[in-house]
Amino acid sequence: MLCSGPWVILFLAIRGLRQYAFSTAVASLAIALAGGLFLGTWKIKEEARNAFSRSSGGYDAVLGARGSKLQLVLNGLFHLEASTGNLSWEQYELIRDTRGVSEAYPIAVGDNYHGFRLVGTLSEMFEKHEWREDRKYLVQSGGRLFTDNAKEALVGAFVARKLGLKVGDKFHPYHGLTFKEEAKHKDLYVVVGILEATGTPSDKVIWIPIKGIQLMDGHNPETATDVSAVLLNLKGSAGFMLDMKYNKQGNVATLAWPVAGTLASFFERLVWFQRVLEIIAYLVAFVAACVILAILRNAMNERRREIAILRSLGARRATVTAVALAQAGLITLLGIVGAVFAYLGIGFLAASVVREQTGVLLEPFTYDPSFFYVPIGMLAVGLLSGLLPALQAYRSDVAKNLVQQS
Amino acid sequence: MAGFVGMIARSMSFLEVSDLRKSFVSPDGGESLVVDVGNFSLAKGEFCGMRGESGSGKTTFLHLLAGILGSDEGSVVLDGTEVSKLNEAARDHLRASAIGYVFQSFNLLQGFTCLENIMLAMSFAGKVDEARAKELLDRVGLSHRLAHYPRQLSIGQQQRVALARALANHPKLVLADEPTGNLDPGNARKALALLRELCSDAGSALLLVSHDENVIGGFEENLDWSDLNRAFAKAMND
Repeated sequence: MLCSGPWVILFLAIRGLRQYAFSTAVASLAIALAGGLFLGTWKIKEEARNAFSRSSGGYDAVLGARGSKLQLVLNGLFHLEASTGNLSWEQYELIRDTRGVSEAYPIAVGDNYHGFRLVGTLSEMFEKHEWREDRKYLVQSGGRLFTDNAKEALVGAFVARKLGLKVGDKFHPYHGLTFKEEAKHKDLYVVVGILEATGTPSDKVIWIPIKGIQLMDGHNPETATDVSAVLLNLKGSAGFMLDMKYNKQGNVATLAWPVAGTLASFFERLVWFQRVLEIIAYLVAFVAACVILAILRNAMNERRREIAILRSLGARRATVTAVALAQAGLITLLGIVGAVFAYLGIGFLAASVVREQTGVLLEPFTYDPSFFYVPIGMLAVGLLSGLLPALQAYRSDVAKNLVQQS
Repeated sequence: MAGFVGMIARSMSFLEVSDLRKSFVSPDGGESLVVDVGNFSLAKGEFCGMRGESGSGKTTFLHLLAGILGSDEGSVVLDGTEVSKLNEAARDHLRASAIGYVFQSFNLLQGFTCLENIMLAMSFAGKVDEARAKELLDRVGLSHRLAHYPRQLSIGQQQRVALARALANHPKLVLADEPTGNLDPGNARKALALLRELCSDAGSALLLVSHDENVIGGFEENLDWSDLNRAFAKAMND
């Protein structure tokens, strides 16, 4: 119940807000929206950058047909976009045997199963390659890797879950990167293994032997030995050397190296979008601050008499001023709680969409400094918007507002 | 005899007002003297009724006594404390702890229950006593209305809550500004009797101002505000 001291301020502030419950809710909602947008914009931007870097599959570079480096990376590592074209098998062998190249795995794309890409490669990639430091691909129990010359498939965890595929299931691939009922190939593949989830785009594809793609029924026999790209790991100065050879001196192939640099350029292109989101967040925050100001100012106008009564009972100027500030603080705190929920929603949605579209696993709820400074900033803005009404309360003329002069 | 008692009482006065003046800036920009009181005193536990017309500065005088307003000149000494020389925070504290105020329009806080209205007054004096608040409400016959809001009470009941609130902090002085102005004659009589009874029990001095002769006539010690306030007399003569 009611106590003396600072609790009176809190008590009066809460009661005051209860009298203006609807306006308080609107202001808190606006703050929650602004806070959620701020957190969403900053944290998810950072997390997306980190997650895409984490999810590049443990490769340093991608070699492909002449074209965009970004398209090469997106196609070769993230299984997005179309291939830039084909490389010959000889080009693959050439780079594989180049000094400084520690790993080279060819991939071939061009088919899908119910919208999920089929990617052809060599089984040795699953045996040798570490998709993250000390992390090799694992096959779920009861399964195994495909054999390089058989019509066998190793299914990514996400695809298996989405399509309900299990070891022993058989399927016909479909031509092209998008699913069309009429583009069904005659070849019949059998699922021999399901990969353990990695949280990388590998989870979103069906892996088959590279010969499977190359020799698929209906594919052009003239390109039967071509590959779409080669995924590389490099040692020493091989990157510089190959960059010079393919990108600056050659005109047949493109080397996307380093992968992180190419991804960074990708995110640079999205800066405008982040800026727009930031501007929206600032605008919403501004509106929220104005709403707090308007609510408290109106409340102060309507409550002049109440303030005068409190003062006549012995409440100090500092007390009624603190009540106005506490109300601004409380509205903001409610907004901050709402912002946390808004961010949970935004984060969950963003993570789901990115996972669905790219296979990349966002972790939007790991600690970020913005979780600390955004609420602090919000509180500061909230209190700032409460300053004017607080000043109004401070200056309130007790005698004038108390009663008519007799 | 009454005059003699009054003289004795004043010689032991604990409220003393001397040469108190208060002006306001009038709408035409000039200065308007509203209160000009040469001497006024009240003894501990004394009851005094003050008769005066509306707009004659009675409320301003009570505000000066309560420290709600600061004076331009003169002094108000309450129980040895020079009110007019205190800073605002000290005046606020004095008002909370030593002065009870009853208003014509009750001035109850509408968003708070009867009990909370009284406990809030206590909180500003730094001593919240829920048991006493309930006891006071019981005393004014509202023990069954503790959790009611003012709007849920009749006018007479609201005034009784206001009386209980004025007595919440064992005030040395109760100032009542037209306390029966909004009440019908029946409720006015009851409220007045209750106010006197409560003040008497608490040992509080009471200064009640009203334009109503029936109210003031009931006080053994009563005076005319127009006799006391030179500013009003001067304005009337002008």
